[in-house]
Amino acid sequence: MEVTAVTGILDTTLALIFTWVGYKTTRILWKYTPYSYPNARIMAMEARLFSEQKFNELAESKTLNNFVINLEDSDYRDYLANLPSYDAESIDRALDKALAGIYSLMFKILPKRVNPFFRLLLQEWDVRNIASAVKAKIRGEPAVNYITDLGTMPQKVKAIADSKSMEEILVILEGTEYEEIYQKLLLGEIGVDEFETQLYKMHYSKLLEYAESRKDEEKVILKEFVRLRIDKLNILTILRAKAHGLKAELIKPSLIPGGTLNRKTIDTLLNVEDLGMALAELDSTKYGEIIRNVREEAERDLSVLDRELERYIRQRLRELTRFYPLSVAVPLNFLLQKEAEVKKLKAIAKLIEDGIPPERIKEIVGELT
Amino acid sequence: MFKPEEMAKIDIISLGRYKDRLLTYLHEKGVVEVREVDVKLAQKDAPNEFYRKAASYSISISRLVDFLRAHRKEAGGGLKEFLFPPEKEKRTYRYKSIEQLIKDVEAFLEKVEPEIKAVEGKLNATQTEIERIKANIAILELLSVLNIEVDYLKSTDMLEIVVGTVERDRYRALMEDLKEVVGQRFVSVSKELKDKYLLVLVFLKGDYEKANPVLAKHSLERIEIPEGTGTPRDLIIEYNKKLREKEEELEKVRKEAEWLSEQYYNETAFYHELMENERDKATILSNLVRTNMTFALTGWLPKKNVPEVVEGIKQLTENKAYINIKDPKPEELDEIPIKLKNPKFIEPFEMLTEMFGVPKYNEFDPTPIMAFTYSFFFGFMLTDFMYGLIVGIVAAILIKGHRHLRDGTWRFAHILLFSSFFTMSLGIIFGSYFGNALDLAGFHVPRLLDTMRGALTVLEIALAIGLVHMFIGYTLGFIVKIKNGELKDALLEQLSWMLIISAVVLFVISENHPGLATAAKGIFGAGFVLFVLSELKNGGLAALLIISDFFGFVGNWLSYARLMALALATSGIAMVVNILVQMIWGIKIGPLSIGLALGVVLFIGGQFFSTAINSLGAFVHSLRLHYVEFFGTFYSGEGRKFEPFRAKREISKLELDVEA
Amino acid sequence: MDPIVYVSLGAALAAGIAGAASSFGVGIAGAAAAGAVAEDEKNFKNALILEGLPMTQSIYGLITLFLILMVSGILGGGFKFKNPNDIDNIIKSAILLGAGLTVGLTGLSAIPQGIISAAGIGAVAKNPKTFTQGIIFAAMAETMAIFGLVGALIMIVTGVGF
Repeated sequence: MEVTAVTGILDTTLALIFTWVGYKTTRILWKYTPYSYPNARIMAMEARLFSEQKFNELAESKTLNNFVINLEDSDYRDYLANLPSYDAESIDRALDKALAGIYSLMFKILPKRVNPFFRLLLQEWDVRNIASAVKAKIRGEPAVNYITDLGTMPQKVKAIADSKSMEEILVILEGTEYEEIYQKLLLGEIGVDEFETQLYKMHYSKLLEYAESRKDEEKVILKEFVRLRIDKLNILTILRAKAHGLKAELIKPSLIPGGTLNRKTIDTLLNVEDLGMALAELDSTKYGEIIRNVREEAERDLSVLDRELERYIRQRLRELTRFYPLSVAVPLNFLLQKEAEVKKLKAIAKLIEDGIPPERIKEIVGELT
Repeated sequence: MFKPEEMAKIDIISLGRYKDRLLTYLHEKGVVEVREVDVKLAQKDAPNEFYRKAASYSISISRLVDFLRAHRKEAGGGLKEFLFPPEKEKRTYRYKSIEQLIKDVEAFLEKVEPEIKAVEGKLNATQTEIERIKANIAILELLSVLNIEVDYLKSTDMLEIVVGTVERDRYRALMEDLKEVVGQRFVSVSKELKDKYLLVLVFLKGDYEKANPVLAKHSLERIEIPEGTGTPRDLIIEYNKKLREKEEELEKVRKEAEWLSEQYYNETAFYHELMENERDKATILSNLVRTNMTFALTGWLPKKNVPEVVEGIKQLTENKAYINIKDPKPEELDEIPIKLKNPKFIEPFEMLTEMFGVPKYNEFDPTPIMAFTYSFFFGFMLTDFMYGLIVGIVAAILIKGHRHLRDGTWRFAHILLFSSFFTMSLGIIFGSYFGNALDLAGFHVPRLLDTMRGALTVLEIALAIGLVHMFIGYTLGFIVKIKNGELKDALLEQLSWMLIISAVVLFVISENHPGLATAAKGIFGAGFVLFVLSELKNGGLAALLIISDFFGFVGNWLSYARLMALALATSGIAMVVNILVQMIWGIKIGPLSIGLALGVVLFIGGQFFSTAINSLGAFVHSLRLHYVEFFGTFYSGEGRKFEPFRAKREISKLELDVEA
Repeated sequence: MDPIVYVSLGAALAAGIAGAASSFGVGIAGAAAAGAVAEDEKNFKNALILEGLPMTQSIYGLITLFLILMVSGILGGGFKFKNPNDIDNIIKSAILLGAGLTVGLTGLSAIPQGIISAAGIGAVAKNPKTFTQGIIFAAMAETMAIFGLVGALIMIVTGVGF
């Protein structure tokens, strides 16, 4: 062979290899590097999530004072340090603050490209707060009892709770994305239930839109999470309506589009006679298994199903963390677990305050898992 | 050796009043693994009030310990502490009953807790105060741009005064909205800051209700006006004075805390350990069952401990106990906990086996073989006399320092010491002393083989070692399976490979003795047929796996090439360091031979780095060769590790009061 | 191109790519280590060992660099394949380039090894018992680099010789 031919082949090979290698390497680095710090940190935090035994120990506390002492070797310690008094309400607030702390930590350490999703998750608390505060106002109850100290605009929410008239709330909400929906409520175009649904609808469409805009694993994970959440809300809406014997046309506007259940299933669900048949209809979906286990209970009390669906979502996310250890699944999973933990702690505090015996507390909290 | 410790099952039934003492006895003895009693008849035991108290005291005392430790004068830690951890003094506690122990702890807490809490409270209060003062100073600094006396910024009977900040782009809209709701009946003073506006708004009391939602809408962040009179600048001076006073106070309280720590740290830590152990004891209770008068407990213990434990129980319960000792039954195979048994000098290597998983009761304990091969591989990959010497010296120091603790570090150091012997001997064979440092210095170093120049020979040796290693693994598996009566598996899964490996060896030999070639082919054929049969056993589709599994074997074998690669890496890095040193050795600036000084530093630093990084490599890859390649041939590691119910005592000792 | 270009490219790419890959790998694992330690200092020892694993590839690169420099005579003596018109010189320098490339490119395994280490550090932070498994998983990725080094060595010794 000619010398030039040999060198020519060598040079081309080099160029080709390097382009390909460079491209692949950049992709891999871009994909995983941003998650390596936060996920390791979050997993270290996961190691400190409470075990069953710890919950049992907490349930045995007898008094709220002991309850707080039992939490002193945990991450909640700083938040519980300056309690004004040992009652379930101030413990509640402290725990909410702890959760807010977790959220702000997430904003700080997670890669910028998924940060907005967690902000949206935090906004869900705004939606929850606004809906409950407005509902309480309409019923004429003190709204302060229904709001949590979480979300992106706690001050506004507080102002809503303190407001004296419905018009004042409109002033406060002016300029936010909730303004329009609230205006409709104020004008009497929609009822208060529909107000709530509309808020959630808007919120979930934003979540879904964001999830769709991501790439690769992030898209898969976020989408799955949002769609499971939507399913849960839809299933519960339909079942609740069926329990009250509502007609299909009345339920339909309350459903949120974008879930994993297909059109046909939803249509059949909407048109069945009663709750029992609706549950039977769901049997053929992927939720069939969890529904089968609690079917009899669920026919009496739908909150059981609420819990089971929530547990299913958590379970699914845990599976995703195993598939994608360096992805957004880990922080998402942790956040859900932490929220569940806080929920349980609040329940224990409340039950202790009410003087429920430890054995019973363990039972109730065990059901929450 | 080769077999795990013989175990026995123990059932105990005794009177409820002996339970506490019996559990404490077993806890201190630490040789019985307690298992759940599977009886429907009786009720599960649960912690009583005292155990619950123990759990909660354990947490509250741990808080005290944390506080005291944070304020200890000499904090400890550092390299010396790691090499020579001080032997901790053990304080004795005479144990009568859990009730008595709780009482003692309560008495201790009653005395100490208020004192510590008082100082802690004072410390926190002072710190909060300092924070508050600092926050106030920050606010005042912000307000100082306005230069309005702070008195004028506080609401009066008639007027509502709001001070706060608002984002720059919302300022205009806020003002317009305010005008809309309250008209001209408000006064505002504003100052533009970096990205926001500082605002002082004055409303009539009556208008405030209307203005408030508007303020919320534009997310006005309110500022609390600090106490005091005068302009902000004057107040800052005043607050700074306060700050200094508080800081002095803080220092004083810190001294108090140090004093407390000196006084009580050891005692508090002692009680903490006692409570932690009670807490641990309480968790085992759910494995027991009880009736009104009696309780039952079941568990496993090493056979050799049976007589003393039985004797101890009898003594404690004044012979009022039913004790049943049983040998393990074949159907309990998955239940039997495994405690490895090896001679003293191999014992540290059990750590490596346990990290992977212990064998089942009827399986083979690979620790003795691993003790040899692991150290040998480590040595082969490090191959340097001086590196081996360094590792050996460090290991020896650690062994001496951790002698009394016998902890993980101690066992690990033993493994390193063993490995360093092989490293040094192989270093001599390869003539490597800090790599080729001696050659460069002009000495003639005797060596059988050079890692660099004879790289291909070293590769052949490495692959030969691999074959032997895997052959040992398959043979062990073969023997164990024959012994346990799994003849078919032994023939298909182990013998096949044993034959194939023998054939490979014969092929190599047959290059010089052509007559062996036919025999080699025959053996290879037999082995391969067995291998194919073992694949087909799992159904027809498994035939697809034949190729991938066969090359899996080849891959495993070639993986032993890392022995040579890492040996090469060691001598390579050493050589790089040596060449660099040689390059700068002669550099002189004037009369100063700067190259000499730099060279020595570079040589020491470089060689130590090389020792560290290559030891890490040797450690990891030697482990990998065992876990993946070697264990893959025969070992499951699916046994259940023996986890005795045992007290953790570092600074306390329990004496059981039998008379009580 | 001149033979010297190929030889020095081979040496440079072996050490350069493997070194860069190692630094990326250690970087990813290091970020995870920092995260794990931020929550609990007890993770330090385990995280440190896992973080160090992707470093080996750069060593293989460095060794290959020296081997190439030695056999081509750049280190000690003079460059052996000066004449660009001799086809033998071109082939030998091409072999050296190939050997360097083999080590450099297989050295890229340091990046995935770093990713595995990072995931391993996370797992260890959650459950310290997974430490050994984490090490073994990470060591798996290194096999390719080892094969690369062995291959390169055979190329150098048989194709060019000392």
